Amino acid sequence: MSNYIPTMGLEVHVEIKSNSKLFSSSANTYGMATNTSVNVIDLGYPGTLPTLNKEIIRQGIRACKVLNCNITRKMHFDRKNYFYPDNPKNYQITQNRTPIGTGGYVEIEVDGIKKKIGISDIHIEEDTCKSAHRGNVSLLDFNRAGVPLIEIVTEPCISNSKEAMAYLIKLRELLFYANISDCKMEEGSMRCDANVSISKTEKLGTRTEIKNISSIHNVGLALDKEIERQEEVLENGGVIREETRRFDDKIGETILMRVKETGNDYRYFIEPDIPYLVVTDEFIEDSLKTLPLLPDELRKKYKEVGLTSLQIEKLIANRSLNDYFLGLLEFKTNYVTAVNLLLSDISSYLNKHNKVITDTKLSYEKLVEVIENLESRELSNKNIKDLIDSLMETDKTLEELKKEFNIQNITDDSFINEIITKVIENNPDSVNDYKNGHDRALKYLMGQVMKETKGSVNPKKASDMLVKELNK
Amino acid sequence: MSKYLDLSIKEIHELLVKKEITPLDLVDEALKRIEENKDLNAFITINDKVREEAKNLGEVDPNNLFFGIPIAVKDNIITKDLKTTCASHILDNFIPIYDATVVTRIKENKMLIIGKANMDEFAMGSTSETSYFGAPLNPHDKKRTAGGSSGGSASAVSSSLVPLALGSDTGGSIRQPASYTGIVGMKPTYGRISRYGLVAFASSLDQIGPMTRTVYENASLLNILVGEDEKDLTSVKKNKEDFTRLIGKSIKGIKIALPKFFISDIVDKEISNRIKDVINYLEQNGAVVDIVDMKYLDTAVNLYQIIAMAEASSNLARFDGVRYGFRAKDVDSVDEMYGKTRGEGFGDEVKRRIMVGSYILSGENAKVYYDKALKVRDDITKEFNRIFKDYDLIIGPTTTRIAPLIGTSADDPHKAFMDDVLVIPVNMAGLPGLSVPVGKNSNNMPIGLHIIGKAFDEATIYKLASFLEEVF
Repeated sequence: MSNYIPTMGLEVHVEIKSNSKLFSSSANTYGMATNTSVNVIDLGYPGTLPTLNKEIIRQGIRACKVLNCNITRKMHFDRKNYFYPDNPKNYQITQNRTPIGTGGYVEIEVDGIKKKIGISDIHIEEDTCKSAHRGNVSLLDFNRAGVPLIEIVTEPCISNSKEAMAYLIKLRELLFYANISDCKMEEGSMRCDANVSISKTEKLGTRTEIKNISSIHNVGLALDKEIERQEEVLENGGVIREETRRFDDKIGETILMRVKETGNDYRYFIEPDIPYLVVTDEFIEDSLKTLPLLPDELRKKYKEVGLTSLQIEKLIANRSLNDYFLGLLEFKTNYVTAVNLLLSDISSYLNKHNKVITDTKLSYEKLVEVIENLESRELSNKNIKDLIDSLMETDKTLEELKKEFNIQNITDDSFINEIITKVIENNPDSVNDYKNGHDRALKYLMGQVMKETKGSVNPKKASDMLVKELNK
Repeated sequence: MSKYLDLSIKEIHELLVKKEITPLDLVDEALKRIEENKDLNAFITINDKVREEAKNLGEVDPNNLFFGIPIAVKDNIITKDLKTTCASHILDNFIPIYDATVVTRIKENKMLIIGKANMDEFAMGSTSETSYFGAPLNPHDKKRTAGGSSGGSASAVSSSLVPLALGSDTGGSIRQPASYTGIVGMKPTYGRISRYGLVAFASSLDQIGPMTRTVYENASLLNILVGEDEKDLTSVKKNKEDFTRLIGKSIKGIKIALPKFFISDIVDKEISNRIKDVINYLEQNGAVVDIVDMKYLDTAVNLYQIIAMAEASSNLARFDGVRYGFRAKDVDSVDEMYGKTRGEGFGDEVKRRIMVGSYILSGENAKVYYDKALKVRDDITKEFNRIFKDYDLIIGPTTTRIAPLIGTSADDPHKAFMDDVLVIPVNMAGLPGLSVPVGKNSNNMPIGLHIIGKAFDEATIYKLASFLEEVF
């Protein structure tokens, strides 16, 4: 039964980040009160015409770049005609014949094997209203009508659910890092449809489409289930129909929505209200100027400054910390120490207070000074825990804080030696225990040293000196 | 009864400046004339706030020729707070919440909108008989139509109910009624005047234009209607110019082409003869008139039927009863709501065109008909450009016959298009075209001369038109 070869393709819609909508000046926002970001154009009012938000073309060009697509130089928009209450003009303005990008790919790695997932095209289009059904009435929220989308369509080249999930994770990371979209599946700013077919031969089988799968995890589940379902149908002598299904994550099955009778007839034609758009070299260059470093470029860069792959992945998974760290690279400091601080005490603070690092008063200069003090052992890790709230919340300098918290700079070896000598003199029993091989005694003695110095000496340094003294 | 509205606008303006009359006097006279000529059925809606507006117009601006002048606006041009029906049941109670760009310009120039002029439903027709509110009549013979689709505008200006009107022209809808009613009607170059707020019929052909009693007044009104509009991407940026500047200048040496098709046997004999008189007169006055061969002119009606109906089928999709306008009662599903709303809301001609347009765009038809029509359309444009290499203007009769009798056009939809056979090619090429009266036939019905200019060369058209206006 398992000698069927599955083939899958994904169609992903992401909402493009922009100030205003694709064809009107209404704000492109999420979570506003119903029908408050709406004007006559979004309502499909008679006589209105679309304008074109060039910023979205720029975003499209950036998407082409990060997804390795060829940029279409002369493009137009098309009307896709269909009646539906969430479609204000009863046509959607999209790009049918001249998608902004073609022939791209996303490279993924599954079980150590790299693969390029081909992208046949990416195109720009407008979103529909959001509809809600209450009993026998339907309600429409036009805030979403006209929000810019890009649709990214893969070749039918995905072989299993792991590849599909890896592709989506990579796609999300790329578009998110390129500032093209928030890519939040839970808020609908990233949506995924999947086409699935199975076959025993080279010729592809009849495909079914699973609409609007709600998470990357569910894409994996839905694809596996659908492959299983199709195998069962074929093994039982049935045929696969062209149909649209949805994935119900409560019961873990794909469910039939409708059978496609004939090919959809969207009566496409060139949108006459928007002139052809010619994209110049200058426009492309200018659009790509603001493209930030992408994850793979970051990985390379971070490796060069000595971060471990675990540190790198943790950093990239946290966009605001990553961006902050990227800024820190302009300063000369110990980046490994910096990342450790960012991922430990600073992250704990941020999580505890539900803040992002840009909300805090931790300037790069202050952080560099903290790192220097750690390096020179003028600050201990314990000091950091004491200072962290003040470091993040006040404008006070490190020097001021050290005074305030009474942190002395005990780096003077003779002072430490004095303390150690005193501790050894006062604890002859423990010294004896240590000499007889009881490690616990060392811990006790070390504790005494720390107590005498009120924790203001570097523990490692003090420990080294103590051992040296004991072994004399 | 006062007779101020029989005066030229210049004369009215002088009286206003001298404070011998007020805008309210003009408005009252216009309202009285409309009332007395109710049988013309030129208006669908009277602006019941116009007297108020006239009172509040403020001090006369001696530099504004149009200050306080009443104007009629075709009822497919959106007017805020003033019912805009498109002569259709589906919008018969539609009160817009914004102004078309041309309406804003009219208001800025202190003209007074008397009311909304009757027309063919959604501008689809050649005699205004498809109006839900009944056909407007021709003041020269009330048994005859005023033409269409801007029949109400033509009827109102021709009978001096108002001195000025706005029309719209998709396939001759300004020029043909102007010709039938003996007034001056200009369809400017596509892109000259913003279409924002013109309820779209065929977006790539529609153009708003002025309809007036004299050439000078027409050119003056055009002066204030034109200009790039950021709300209409197909509007064109041009240097400001005065369209009256060539009026009164010598026509000596002007080169005029007369395509054979325009004097072929499709044209009524009396009209052909009048055109010959015009040519003789022009030649006597130093113009060069050559009869030329022009290809593709005879294809224009077919192209029009394909392109205009395809676009219309999409443009009119938004009238679905969901957001505005008429909604059918007693429906159980969304599909039934669509069907009944549109079935009851639209008239026969509109439904016919939507069906034909939908068919034309369906599946493979889009390639066979629509794409091919666009190619031939390019050829027509090239053919015009070829002629315009050697000639300044192209002339011919505006119509093949005088205004038809009411009730004779509805039976044969294809024949009705033949009323526009001479004017449609101009829309295909996006060129400016004007109809100017050149006398009457033996039944005392007006005959119009059609003058076609190079793109954005409306001024030369006005020069020739005003020269002939003096004589015929």
